[in-house]
Amino acid sequence: MQTTLTDRRSFLKKMAMASAIAAAASMFPGIMFAAEQEKGIPKNANLDWKKGPCRFCGVGCGVLVGTENGKAVAVKGDPNSPVNKGLCCVKGYHSIMALYGKDRLTHPLVKKNGRYVKTSMDEALDLIASKMKETIAEHGKDAVSIYGSGQWTIPDGYAASKLFKGCIGTNNVEANARLCMASAVTGFLTSFGLDEPMGCYEDIDHADVFVLWGNNMAEMHPVLFSRLLDQRLKRGVKIIDFATRTTRTSTAADKSILFLPQTDLAVANAICYEIIKNGWVNNSFVEKHCSFSKGLTNMGYGLEDNYTFTDKPEKISFEDYKTFLEDYTPEKVSKLSGVSVRDIKYMASYYGDPNKKVMSLWCMGMNQHTRGTWINNLVYNIHLLTGKISQPGNSPFSLTGQPSACGTVREVGTLTHKLPHGVVMNKEHREFAAKIWGVPAENIPSKPTYHTVEMFRALDRGDIRFMWIQVTNPMVTMPKLKRYRDGAKKEGRFIVVSDVYPTPTTDIADVILPSAMWIEREGMYGNSERRTQYFEQMVDPPGEAISDTWQLIEVAKRLGYEKQFPYKEETHIEEIYTEYRKHHDNIKHNMAPLEVLKSQSGAIWPYVDGKSTKWRFNAKYDPACSNGEDFHFYGKPDGKAIIWQRPYEPAAEEPDNEYPYWLNTGRVVEHWHTGSMTRRIPVLHQAMPHAYVELHPDDAERMQIKTGDAVRLTTRRGEITLPASINERGVPAPMQVFVPFFDENILINDITLDSFCPISKEPDYKKCAVRVEKA
Amino acid sequence: MRKRLGIISLFALLFIGFVVVWNYSYEQGLEGPYIPVESNSSRTLIPSESGVFRQSENALDFNQMPIDEAHQRSLETYYDNRAYPGAPPSIPHPVQKERDLGGNVCLQCHQSGGFVQKFDAYAPISPHPEMINCRQCHVTQNTKGLFAETNFTKVSPPEVGVNNALPGSPPMIPHLLSMRESCLSCHVGPSAPKEIRVTHPERINCRQCHVPNTVEHDQIEVFSRNLEESYE
Repeated sequence: MQTTLTDRRSFLKKMAMASAIAAAASMFPGIMFAAEQEKGIPKNANLDWKKGPCRFCGVGCGVLVGTENGKAVAVKGDPNSPVNKGLCCVKGYHSIMALYGKDRLTHPLVKKNGRYVKTSMDEALDLIASKMKETIAEHGKDAVSIYGSGQWTIPDGYAASKLFKGCIGTNNVEANARLCMASAVTGFLTSFGLDEPMGCYEDIDHADVFVLWGNNMAEMHPVLFSRLLDQRLKRGVKIIDFATRTTRTSTAADKSILFLPQTDLAVANAICYEIIKNGWVNNSFVEKHCSFSKGLTNMGYGLEDNYTFTDKPEKISFEDYKTFLEDYTPEKVSKLSGVSVRDIKYMASYYGDPNKKVMSLWCMGMNQHTRGTWINNLVYNIHLLTGKISQPGNSPFSLTGQPSACGTVREVGTLTHKLPHGVVMNKEHREFAAKIWGVPAENIPSKPTYHTVEMFRALDRGDIRFMWIQVTNPMVTMPKLKRYRDGAKKEGRFIVVSDVYPTPTTDIADVILPSAMWIEREGMYGNSERRTQYFEQMVDPPGEAISDTWQLIEVAKRLGYEKQFPYKEETHIEEIYTEYRKHHDNIKHNMAPLEVLKSQSGAIWPYVDGKSTKWRFNAKYDPACSNGEDFHFYGKPDGKAIIWQRPYEPAAEEPDNEYPYWLNTGRVVEHWHTGSMTRRIPVLHQAMPHAYVELHPDDAERMQIKTGDAVRLTTRRGEITLPASINERGVPAPMQVFVPFFDENILINDITLDSFCPISKEPDYKKCAVRVEKA
Repeated sequence: MRKRLGIISLFALLFIGFVVVWNYSYEQGLEGPYIPVESNSSRTLIPSESGVFRQSENALDFNQMPIDEAHQRSLETYYDNRAYPGAPPSIPHPVQKERDLGGNVCLQCHQSGGFVQKFDAYAPISPHPEMINCRQCHVTQNTKGLFAETNFTKVSPPEVGVNNALPGSPPMIPHLLSMRESCLSCHVGPSAPKEIRVTHPERINCRQCHVPNTVEHDQIEVFSRNLEESYE
């Protein structure tokens, strides 16, 4: 009786599923959602809708902003945007409220005798320019620096690079993106020779299996995750969550696999071992398009000042690589990683199955890693061995966290070693940039100076005396924060901060400049899939606030660079963008002209013959392929992608008797980055008012800690006390804790470690040792 | 002799077989310290928020169900059946077995819902079908009378249509989520009160757009900074 009932139930269920899937295929052409939203808007509202990219994360959703009487009053998802097809997340829907916080900075403030005094914009800009001149005269060019972020629009970053590298002549240009996706960049450069993903978001519509490497997409890239869920309803795709912590993503995934911190390196190698052992290698692809290399090991962790590292790549054979992988059998790796042999083989079998298209997705889990470059390489290895790359649905895809981390920091090149096209170490690249910039080539120094962590160390030491910080909040985001905050406050340092709200970073400033944010000015962002998107000015900025671009131009003029910055106030964004395009004038990186960006929801570069290139390195889609084969990895001189031999190495600081827990940090869906904007949006603040520490329920029970109890976390850097969260948003594994970093009143980065990947110089915010006590 | 040899070789074979099998299973045992890091815990490790995804596999079915105008519930009847907003509803119909916990008896109708001829209504879906001691919280109403009058006053339930921060923005969640993490239970399907039935049940990551505005509501102050310096 019981069994027949079950049979009948499961039969009915299957029938229902089958019909539902059939119906779904015809029902959802995309995500299309804006029409639904339209119903909620009063009929008599006389709103003017303008398109633009969302202000927040690197997904780059298209939004339509409704304005009325000069104020932004509503947001819709842009149904024409191929990114989000009309859907947003809670941050996007409420993004415009970030413009109207009561404590918006509206006038320049200058610190005089410990108090901030209102001044005029002209006076503040004069002061900045004279301080820069004075510092250069006294301490040299390399004593002045600028620190921006992936929230810089393309023209902001371009003006900064041109002023500092081209005109002043220092490579002291860095950005928050160093803390966020530098490992993704070095991963791409070492494996392919060219930065940024080969595929695009359309891969989601083609892939059969999604493997999320340490990526809580349901919260961090919710709109893309909704596209995954959509595909699961439509086509029954599989979602595998491979992570160190149980999250919303784990519960939504078809399979959740947990691993111990840092052992992703070993598991990726074990997957390659299985692929080779089972004969799943795409031999013709590997033969034609791949070569093998190894680099130095035991690189260290960059904990000491002036640490340097240069990798020495060495060619190896496929046989050497196979021998190396003998150490990474699933059995051995299982013991190290806590992942069962069965689960390793399970993942390998999906990657190996020639009939399954696999998309790997990752973000900070792999990038904020002391071996971040390596783990990026290792995931590419899996895709290269199986030939599952550069085709619709077969796609290793590195996601970003900031709206223009790709567009500005990576493409304009606002990092110490970068130029818009190429690197400062290359003479031809320097000459090429200097010619467009209208400066002598000798102006651009051939040696990179400081990466971000080292830049703040240099500020502490006194090697840097002047720093201009725009659109970012390093006094919340720097690891081992206390050292860098104390350093910035030292006598004889001059700090300028351009921002929209007071933050812990404006607290250390000598001059605070009010900025026009997002739709209060004109600009462009570039998202994770190489899509450049334009937005016009839709509302007026408050008070005397002006855009970061115009601030830089005004200071450049005061420094005597009128010739290099001849732009007119009304048209400067267009002029700069047109000039910037010259740097990328080739079929490998062409940027779409401004008219195109204005007329449609962005375009993917390389934009060639009026068309976006959706899949690079694939001759069918990419006109830059020239070797007559199906694929051409033209970023490398021999046209071959590199499969890297990279071992497992332990983290910089692992739990011991004194500090027995792992400390992991990250984000939540409600807040973006340091919360300086989202915490001023009432809806988001009320849903997530403060940071907390997540504990495993067993650990909590042992220490008799309940949700809301005060918990003290102590590391070798210091201690903080914050409320506990047990079995709520996420559940860390036993002997691990998780803290979100958005809360400036609970600065978790005061106790994190400033170890970084020696190749990318990106710090690891996900792993250090901590002691946990009931406070 | 030959017979004995046969028996000996049979045993020898059995012995070899045993050694092989034992070895294999021993190796297997070594190979698989299957430690998905959580497994040494006996409790269910599901963040309380996971409920949003729980009924996702039925989402498409819900999407396709026609609206049965004649048998819709409304918010009024929904709250009539509760002592206060958020209280466990009472059981408005006779129950089969007084001695039963509830469990499968209740879940027959309340796990997946469906039309019940006898009561001429659609069975509401439980947002927490894993809790089977139903009648711990849900009790029948066997009399309309009172033992003594009460001064208890029922607070008004949250209103519908006023929870958007901006015109057209997704409404916030005006109620607490405890025991009601599975949004689909009450917000989709023919048993959902008509005022709160969603149009897009296939979007199962509900809290991508809708966030609660009731977390310790009164205690949440406007975000403010711990200021060291004073700004003029």
